[in-house]
Amino acid sequence: MLKFMSKLAPRSPWIYRINAGSCNGCDVEMATAALIPRYDVERLGCKYCGSPRHADVVLISGPLTMRVRDRVLRVYDEIPHPKVTVGIGVCPVSGGCFRESYSVEADISRYIPLDVIVPGCPPRPQAIIDGIVKAVDVLRNRIEEGVCSRS
Amino acid sequence: MTNILEAAFAILIFPGGLFALALGLLLKGVDRKFYARLQRRVGPPLIQPALDIIKLCTKETMIPDSANATAFQLAPMLGLTGVLVTAAVMPIGGVWSGVTGLGDLLILLYLLPIPAMAMMLAGGASSSPYGSLGFSREMCLMFAYEMPLIASFLAVAVRVGGADGSALSLDAIMSYQYLHGPLLLDPVMLPAVLALLMFIPGTMASGLFDIPEAEPEVLEGPLLEYSGPLLAVFNLMSAVKLTVVLQLAVALICPNPIGGSVVVNLAWHVFKCLTLLLVSVTCFRAATGRLRLDQGFSFFVKYTSPLALVSLGLAVMLR
Repeated sequence: MLKFMSKLAPRSPWIYRINAGSCNGCDVEMATAALIPRYDVERLGCKYCGSPRHADVVLISGPLTMRVRDRVLRVYDEIPHPKVTVGIGVCPVSGGCFRESYSVEADISRYIPLDVIVPGCPPRPQAIIDGIVKAVDVLRNRIEEGVCSRS
Repeated sequence: MTNILEAAFAILIFPGGLFALALGLLLKGVDRKFYARLQRRVGPPLIQPALDIIKLCTKETMIPDSANATAFQLAPMLGLTGVLVTAAVMPIGGVWSGVTGLGDLLILLYLLPIPAMAMMLAGGASSSPYGSLGFSREMCLMFAYEMPLIASFLAVAVRVGGADGSALSLDAIMSYQYLHGPLLLDPVMLPAVLALLMFIPGTMASGLFDIPEAEPEVLEGPLLEYSGPLLAVFNLMSAVKLTVVLQLAVALICPNPIGGSVVVNLAWHVFKCLTLLLVSVTCFRAATGRLRLDQGFSFFVKYTSPLALVSLGLAVMLR
């Protein structure tokens, strides 16, 4: 029964977006991937949710500025396990064009484990959807193993 | 004793309980699929709402430190129990005529607001400011959509009762329609039917009236702090509420069966519920955006209530 449930559960990944000081370029692409008829993430069972408590897959964009760092970590802690993190764009990994700024904390993976990285500045919607598909695979493993990753 | 057994069967298996849950999840799935098709998307599979429930059951449950834990956990249970009991009262034309003595419009007026009450309790208990915002929006909207509901109930009761006064039992309303044709085709009742069709999206908070749980504004309001199985119970509650509201509308305006066989009649009933869902929830939701709370309130006061009152007045004059 539990096995059956863990097979079906990953078919409903709910998505939550965190903007960690992004320039909004990646956010526009994420909105494009979600909201217009051309790119349909809902066929994967995805739903964008407004509350971190409902989320399974977290999309993080932006270079993690010092000002938002603690808030991002707080919101990340509010997400119930099992959860998967996807870094959207190059910013979460290297800081992108902001990389040597005094106010930027990238790489995010020092604070939050990034399971999937979708590089690009900004990445195309197809790439974001591909990243979500990979995140669903990670989510499947995580649900099956009952593994929890806590930052 | 048989009465208690009958009531227990009605609440747990058919037409409440398992049947209502299955039908509710199916209706939700059709709603999402059809909505996606309207936007030329592929959309989620029909069983998506069931998958969501299963997923939520594998998630961790978090209860905020500052929340009132008892009320926080009781609210979804209360809501689900309430709608399941309501579903047990719903008659299905040609299949089931309701638990004896329970199918009554006055009882329904008390049972129908229970899910909204549960939402308010949830919003209040979660101690989140967005929860409280959702609470107040839900309550305001409820006052607005209860008015046309009561008025159209009265119009139906007076119309059915005729010269003998008013008929409040669902049994009487159904048998009147078996004799005289569905109220949907009765010109006197047309405004009340329209008001009832506006009540459905109002109580389901969709389309124009997606005010209490507006995701971009109040972050899903009362549901903001819920996670895991408790959220799954809320999803089930909303699915059963959808069946209850649609079945009620079917019973009030077009309960007529088509065939002799129970299976055919049940399929016909489900078909009517689906049609009603597509018209008054899905297409409505796809075609309209959200109103502000005051606009939503005055929409019901200015347009919907007078429609139902026109029917009531005509029914009283023609009795």
